Amino acid sequence: MKLLYSLYKEYKVLIRDKAGLAITFIMPTVLILIMTLIQDSTFKSVNESSVPLLFVDRDHDSLSETLEKYITNSKFFLITKKQLTNAEVKKEIAQGHFFIGIIVPENTSKKLRERSTARVAKLLNSFSGDTTETAEKTDTSMIRLNLFFDPITKKSFKTTISNSIERIISQIEMQGMVSALNDKMRESFPDANPSPMENTPLVSVTEEYASYNNSTIIPNAVQHNVPAWTLFAMFFICIPLAGNIIKEREDGSAFRLLTMPGSYFIVILGKLLTYTIVSLIQFALMLSVGLFILPLLGMPQLNIGDNLPLLFLIALSAGLAATGFGLLVGTVATTHDQASLFGAVFIIILAAIGGVWVPTFVMPDIMKTISVISPLNWGLESFYAVFIRNSSLKEIWPEILKLWLFFLATITGAYLFQKYKRLK
Amino acid sequence: MSVLVDIQHVSKQYKEAPRPAVSDLSMMIQKGDVFGLLGPNGAGKTTLISMLCGLFPPSSGKIYINGHTHETHSRESKQVIGVVPQEIALYPKLTAWENLMFLGHMYGLKGASLKEKIKENLSVLGLEANMHQKIISYSGGMKRRVNLIAGLLHDPQLLILDEPTVGVDVQSKQAIIDRLKALNREKGMTILYTSHHLEEAEDFCNYIAIIDHGKLITQGKTKELIAENNSSSIEEVYLKITGNNFRDK
Repeated sequence: MKLLYSLYKEYKVLIRDKAGLAITFIMPTVLILIMTLIQDSTFKSVNESSVPLLFVDRDHDSLSETLEKYITNSKFFLITKKQLTNAEVKKEIAQGHFFIGIIVPENTSKKLRERSTARVAKLLNSFSGDTTETAEKTDTSMIRLNLFFDPITKKSFKTTISNSIERIISQIEMQGMVSALNDKMRESFPDANPSPMENTPLVSVTEEYASYNNSTIIPNAVQHNVPAWTLFAMFFICIPLAGNIIKEREDGSAFRLLTMPGSYFIVILGKLLTYTIVSLIQFALMLSVGLFILPLLGMPQLNIGDNLPLLFLIALSAGLAATGFGLLVGTVATTHDQASLFGAVFIIILAAIGGVWVPTFVMPDIMKTISVISPLNWGLESFYAVFIRNSSLKEIWPEILKLWLFFLATITGAYLFQKYKRLK
Repeated sequence: MSVLVDIQHVSKQYKEAPRPAVSDLSMMIQKGDVFGLLGPNGAGKTTLISMLCGLFPPSSGKIYINGHTHETHSRESKQVIGVVPQEIALYPKLTAWENLMFLGHMYGLKGASLKEKIKENLSVLGLEANMHQKIISYSGGMKRRVNLIAGLLHDPQLLILDEPTVGVDVQSKQAIIDRLKALNREKGMTILYTSHHLEEAEDFCNYIAIIDHGKLITQGKTKELIAENNSSSIEEVYLKITGNNFRDK
């Protein structure tokens, strides 16, 4: 009964604290919306299609048409066709309107056909001992296409794009060679009726995300930002909780409660339970933002996997870790200002280290190593595991255990500090 | 009369303090007394009250509350005590009713008897009409009256009051003192009272102890103490004993 009334009191105090409610619920909602919208294009550039590409076709023949078709079919680029000079293309790229510009010069197809025919003829003639005839008549130097890149493009991304385009051109080149060979063979065997040569690839690569339950979900801005900022908000609870504890100490309530038999423990337990429940409500609210609000803003819907009990366990573990930390801050700090400043700065540092602001997978190796000390990272990795890899408790129990140990360490620290102060 | 509080050679030395806050202090509070604990700032009153309430143990010596020590019988010792701190130890965003219901439950009270007790106290102290208003909207005097009720809910044998009338209007002060006198008279409640209002202490307390620098300087029945020191009031006795020097740290 004491505990129930303590919970009721905390609920009443919390519900009437408008500023506390704003920090607890509105701040993370706004952060998720803003950060997801801001980071969406960044995540897309890493993960998804729609790399803006400027295509200048001066060839107007088979090569440029085939190249355009391949690029479109790759679904990696968003093609815009324009007739511009080289200088204008450079300017468009420099102004950031496009990541890549491709110029297919005039007569490229014609040159490719001529050179393919010449190479095939040279090859066939070599069988009859004639090695000079075609080479003397045809220019066999390389045909050059011009590629322009946005200077901010990372080297690895540029290499990926170049390789993709070169692969497309190689295919076109190979088709040209096969076509030329076909023509030559027809000339040599006019009466034959051969079946057309198949030009489908003989080797293909199957790509699959190494996830459990055959899930192939690609992380996006929503799947990063929703759990990341939810955890940030959960840990930010340490500020109102610490403030609540300090206020009770300053206004004499703690003194009065300490003089009551066994009551202060109940009151502290009431606070821990109340704020843990609040953190679970925060979690549910933030999931709702990811599921229902972000899609309305044109963002992808949050995929929460299919293991809701495990999500609840992660949220509960993170909530306990956060309230334990709040209890420790409230016990150690002597003033409200001290608790607010220390709590806020510490949480921001833990969030930065833990991959809330910048995901750990784009961090340098040294920061990836350091990130494992942050409880926010343990929570975030657990959420990633469930959202993206459909992991089970068997895979994420070490992270859950760390969160529980952090909770136990913080409440033990708070108890020992309180005892030390009492005996001082 | 029997002894309710027995303080035996109690000292308290804080780790970083140059001298003990309380030094070898012994005294007894009889059941039914209104005991005035007086002394200048830094005399050791707050430290002594904190030890009486079981907030921390003495460095040496023993404190018995109704025959028990906090070290061995914390629950029994604390059950005897009601505390009215100098600060308004209430939740400002809760109403008086909500505050008292919460504190009553923390004392282990519940149900209709708790509600009756709260209503009775609110009525006696003139707060019944405002009981569903938030504490933040109360005047200083109203807050002090609720603060007093919070310490009375479980009918303690020993009520410890730290400056219960500081900063309140005359009417509220009178209501508080009248209520305390009635509780002492009708229920035999023992009261330990600290204040810098020496005139109020002289009027209210039947027994007074003056401490300074952590030591007991003098104690006795109020009237006898005045007579023994050839003085006309407790204030005169107090100034004779503690001097006129400022007690700035």
